[in-house]
Amino acid sequence: MRLLLVEDDIAIQGFLRRALGEAGYQVDTASNAKTGELKALEGSHDAFIIDLGLPDMDGLDLIARCRAQGSSAPVLILSARRSVDDRVKGLERGGDDYLTKPFAVAELLARLRNLLRRYSVPQIDSVRLQAADLQLDLVRHEARRGDQLLQLTAQEFSLLEYLCRNAGRVVTRSMILDHVWRMRIDPATNVVDVHIYRLRNKVDQNASEPLIHTIRGVGYVLKNA
Amino acid sequence: MRKVLRTTAAWRLSIWTTLAFAVGTGLAFSIVYLFVARIIQERGDAWLRGEAEVLSQVSTDTPRDHLYHRIMGEVAELATRELPDERNARGQSLNAVFFLEEDRDHSESPLWVGPSAQDAFLKAIQRAEPVAGKPQSIKVDGWSTSFRVVALHENGRTIYLGLSNHGAKHLLDNLTERFLMVWGGTALMGFLISYLGARRTLLRVERITETVARIGTEDLGERLPAQAKSDEISRLSETFNHMLDRIQTSVNQLRCVTDAVAHDLKSPVTSIRGTLESALCNDAKEEWRDSVGEAIEGLDRLLHVLNTNLDVAEAQAGALHMDRSALDLSDVVRRLVDLYHPAMAERHHEVSVDIESHVIVDADIRLLNRVISNLFENELTHLPAGKKILIRLSSHDGLTELVVEDDGPGFPADVSSRAFERFVKGKHSPGHGLGLAFVHAVVQSHGGAVNIADRPMGGAIITVSLPAGALHPV
Repeated sequence: MRLLLVEDDIAIQGFLRRALGEAGYQVDTASNAKTGELKALEGSHDAFIIDLGLPDMDGLDLIARCRAQGSSAPVLILSARRSVDDRVKGLERGGDDYLTKPFAVAELLARLRNLLRRYSVPQIDSVRLQAADLQLDLVRHEARRGDQLLQLTAQEFSLLEYLCRNAGRVVTRSMILDHVWRMRIDPATNVVDVHIYRLRNKVDQNASEPLIHTIRGVGYVLKNA
Repeated sequence: MRKVLRTTAAWRLSIWTTLAFAVGTGLAFSIVYLFVARIIQERGDAWLRGEAEVLSQVSTDTPRDHLYHRIMGEVAELATRELPDERNARGQSLNAVFFLEEDRDHSESPLWVGPSAQDAFLKAIQRAEPVAGKPQSIKVDGWSTSFRVVALHENGRTIYLGLSNHGAKHLLDNLTERFLMVWGGTALMGFLISYLGARRTLLRVERITETVARIGTEDLGERLPAQAKSDEISRLSETFNHMLDRIQTSVNQLRCVTDAVAHDLKSPVTSIRGTLESALCNDAKEEWRDSVGEAIEGLDRLLHVLNTNLDVAEAQAGALHMDRSALDLSDVVRRLVDLYHPAMAERHHEVSVDIESHVIVDADIRLLNRVISNLFENELTHLPAGKKILIRLSSHDGLTELVVEDDGPGFPADVSSRAFERFVKGKHSPGHGLGLAFVHAVVQSHGGAVNIADRPMGGAIITVSLPAGALHPV
């Protein structure tokens, strides 16, 4: 997978290139809209990551120009502008997703995966999810660790399902709130952690290996140790 | 500093005023002048016509013998005496009358009665050829005032009677001369008065301008002096002072907010810096992970403060983007209670919930989520462990009420009156004093109200009231 990153801030460009590289993407970079446009029109990228505050052109205009010239790869907008209007404008003008700075790399990767998937084969929702010895039956709403049935509330099941769908990948608290509770709030307290703690008590209590791990400062990941 | 006179408004104003005044009075005078002149002329002409007819009658009735000239001469002489004997300062008569009678064929020498030799008059009359019976102005050489002359034809003779009403002309000239003097005088005085008046008034405006310019560059605390008179200009300076008051208040608020933000940012930055520094001095890799995680958590907290600040500022400025729709508040509250309940239980709070079903409000779901989560966060951060929390949602008489109450210590006395201002918080509060400010601003922009109070039996009660939504679910 090849990405084009258009970002004028060298520090951000650097860490993104590293993080995306570690996640297995090939990354081309451009520091201004002019170069970005030239590289974008080569047509060899699977997705664009475009910052809105470019020195020579507004990122939205760059997206519009690329779209006008037939480029169809999905675009993830990065922006320091956080108002809803800007988000809406960004999505209206040809962006596919919008991420405000600062962001967690985990969230960037998740959104990017989502975009790339959306643009390739449509995802088929399976009825069963499996991670290590954890099995989720999405039809019956049943979760088993090994052969033991877990007694989960509906909410705990949704949370576990979300972790399971992203097994092996870090999810942040705001991603959890967004996907499981469907709300974009930014709590200063440990509300999400308490839910994870309770879920972990049920999932990992009687098992030899813990499955739900805390990545301090970032979020949680479901994986074999 | 001294301006060119012509660029001042006072100068322009007085020029225009004076001009308008001068033109107006000039026009009025001209009308009066023409009116008087016409009346005088008409009266003169009537006299001329009457006298000429009398003379013509006498001429017809008198036999043409050797006495004819004498009789006509005396009659004409008598006619001239009918005029009032106006004389000027030098004793010269101001009126002059001439009488001339001549043959159509000029066979006899003409009969002449007049103030001086007849030649000049004869020449003037020949030049003008007056129409019979119609008075006409004729200029005679050697006379400054023209003569009104009437001609009558009778039995092959023509009688000319002329009147130079020098007195009337003198009167009119006098009138004009005096008018011009008075006119010039009043125009000049009017100009001076309006210029001085305008300058006096505009100097007050100028002083306001100078003061405001000084306030703009120097001290925001300075005010325009109170004006003795109560007029437009004093209202202008009052308005300016009001505006300055408001600006100063906002600037002060801004300063407070900036100070508070800076203060709020300093402690997390210090702790993040310390954490990372001690990690660098430590060689154990596992401890690095912890330190970095801790630093990121610190940064997230910092970001939270920044974002909330921006949100509150935006909400208080009324610049929130709102996407309102009819939504089931009962459902929203229930989901948030689900989210927060475990954290509350963790702190051994006893939570009781009383939610009326299908309470509909017209609101922005995102903002409402955050408002309610702020209220719950508030309980989590401020309430000592093991308290009772009561969450109640009800709707009656078109008003929806969400009540969150507890049996904790209540609001600190120094906070409760200003709890909705940014950065107002209790001395020992771990928060940043932004939560309630945000709640208040958002609820207000939804047309609702927030009320905080201490319960009589102890504890705090926060009531959020929103106008009920127009739509009701089936």
